[in-house]
Amino acid sequence: MVAGLLALSGCATNSLFVPYPNQAQQWKASLATAPVTPAATQKLEKAASGGDGVLYLQELGRVSQLTGQREQSREAFAGAIQKYDEEDASARIQVSSLTASASSLITNDNARGYVAPDYERIFTHAYQALNYWDANDPTGTAVELRGAALEQRVAADKRDKEIAKAEEAAEENNVDLSQFDGYFQGINAVAGEVKASFQNAWTFYLSALFWEAHGEYNDALVDYKKALEIHPELDMLKEDVERVSNAMKGRPADEGMVAVLYEQGFVQAREEFSLPIPTVHGIFSVAFPTYSLTSKPRPNSLRVLDSASQPLGETVVLADVGALAAKDLKERLPGMLVRQTLRATAKYNLQKKANDDFGPLGAFATQLYNLVSEQADRRSWLTLPAYAQATRFSLPQGKHTLVLSTPGGNATLTVPVVNRGLTVIHVAAVPGQLITRVLPVQEGPL
Amino acid sequence: MLRVLSMLLLGSALALSGCASKVDYGDAQARETVNTDFGSTDLQMIAAKMVDDMMVFPPIVQMTQNRRPVVFVDRIKNKTTEHVDTESITDTIQSKLINSGKFRFVDMSVVDRVRQQLDYQSDSGLVDPSTAAAMGRQIGAEMMMYGNFSSIVKRDGSTKDVYYKFTLKLLNIQTGIIEWTNEKEIRKTRSKSLFGL
Repeated sequence: MVAGLLALSGCATNSLFVPYPNQAQQWKASLATAPVTPAATQKLEKAASGGDGVLYLQELGRVSQLTGQREQSREAFAGAIQKYDEEDASARIQVSSLTASASSLITNDNARGYVAPDYERIFTHAYQALNYWDANDPTGTAVELRGAALEQRVAADKRDKEIAKAEEAAEENNVDLSQFDGYFQGINAVAGEVKASFQNAWTFYLSALFWEAHGEYNDALVDYKKALEIHPELDMLKEDVERVSNAMKGRPADEGMVAVLYEQGFVQAREEFSLPIPTVHGIFSVAFPTYSLTSKPRPNSLRVLDSASQPLGETVVLADVGALAAKDLKERLPGMLVRQTLRATAKYNLQKKANDDFGPLGAFATQLYNLVSEQADRRSWLTLPAYAQATRFSLPQGKHTLVLSTPGGNATLTVPVVNRGLTVIHVAAVPGQLITRVLPVQEGPL
Repeated sequence: MLRVLSMLLLGSALALSGCASKVDYGDAQARETVNTDFGSTDLQMIAAKMVDDMMVFPPIVQMTQNRRPVVFVDRIKNKTTEHVDTESITDTIQSKLINSGKFRFVDMSVVDRVRQQLDYQSDSGLVDPSTAAAMGRQIGAEMMMYGNFSSIVKRDGSTKDVYYKFTLKLLNIQTGIIEWTNEKEIRKTRSKSLFGL
């Protein structure tokens, strides 16, 4: 038992006794200083082979993308995607996960291998697309955007019962499902409300922009409409749908488009809710992960000005990542409750046996172990932004100097604009720094 | 206690045997079913089907009876959800067609290096003019080979179904007529097993 404990705590690259948000602080902090310390990414690389490998690979991909190490980022995300495939192909009942579940019974849920939720998979494909985009490989970008679309579809299929229920409820309350017509035909706002909790409109928007720039108006229209379904209140998306509908009729606008993808801050981490339960045999604690509303950051927008300080656009929130994470936690909670009950029973029996057989010292040690080992599962991809936002505007062909203004700092960039082309500015605001880059202009057929 | 010990032994035996890995040569044509991703068997099936079909298509048979038309390979558009090297597929098709003795190919991907060599032969003064390759004597391609590679992927908790469609077209550059086209469909399904390690 002691040896087991030692072995478990010896591995610093799992979250059994060190809460994951504390670990993540290391590489999150390293992003704030301009040249990133290699120690943080080395730790991530080392952890990538463990049971939570997929989580660390995601973090590594994101950190190296933000620090401009494209190849490392691409490899990390490719590794994460391979782990998703392995997870999908794995047997329903696995010996390895049974052992993990068994050891989670005497420790905590962190002993179970990390399974990436849908929303993280979608982000991985979107970020991988940005890596290919940055390398000016439109074919690779297209492949990853299709991969992201597949994950979005799978996420929706999984929850089609939920969508059907919402539609039923809307019908009972006489809400008109066909409130959109004309350009916006086929958009189901009620389903959109449900989809907003697990699908990612920001990724839809990213791929729509890409398809439109390459003249694939059909694909672009579908993705703009899916984004609009999630955010029916956004006029920007309505204009996009109209513009692409017109382009399909052979009237593409003769201007260049500039899009700003703005990723604000870091998504909030899960917090621990711990409840001590006194019994005749000692104190037990149960711990659950939770998200608190008070620590959720508020969205702030990025404004784009031209060199004469005239406003060009302001970003709008397309994906509230904290909400996606909260929805995922909500869906995982029933399973967590079952395991918590089993674990409490196991630990209770252990304590009873220790009290009876091991004397006061053994009983005290077991009591201590029981309290310390009870840690909530606080693992989730923590370098994701809190809010993924975007805006777009048209400019005449040529070089333009743009000022990006955010509460966290300003940046001035010179970007190329090509007629019927798309220039994307990728901005990530991490605490203390505004990371910007201009992706290669996309134009012409794929 | 004995039971615990024997369980431990069994566990360590399992763990130890897991470490032994070995390398072996396999049949390059063997069916590969590691996962549903695009693999060697798919590539071989596509190339074989395309070439076999083209070789027996009556107008092509007639066209290649007395001469060997010159073809250039454009590209296969990858419209799947995987990073597939489509050039590798067209390379296999090209090899098979050249080896059939019915077609000749020009390679557009080496034009720059060929030009460099031609410049060197004619301009450097180092090459015997009588053996130097003359400029402007290359043969123009008569046909263009191009196509699409698309896929439809569906997945739920226990099953993954992948449908691939490979379309290849042969276009007469002068007339703009598609002289031949064919497609190869592949369907792969994976279902999860109940138990596993």
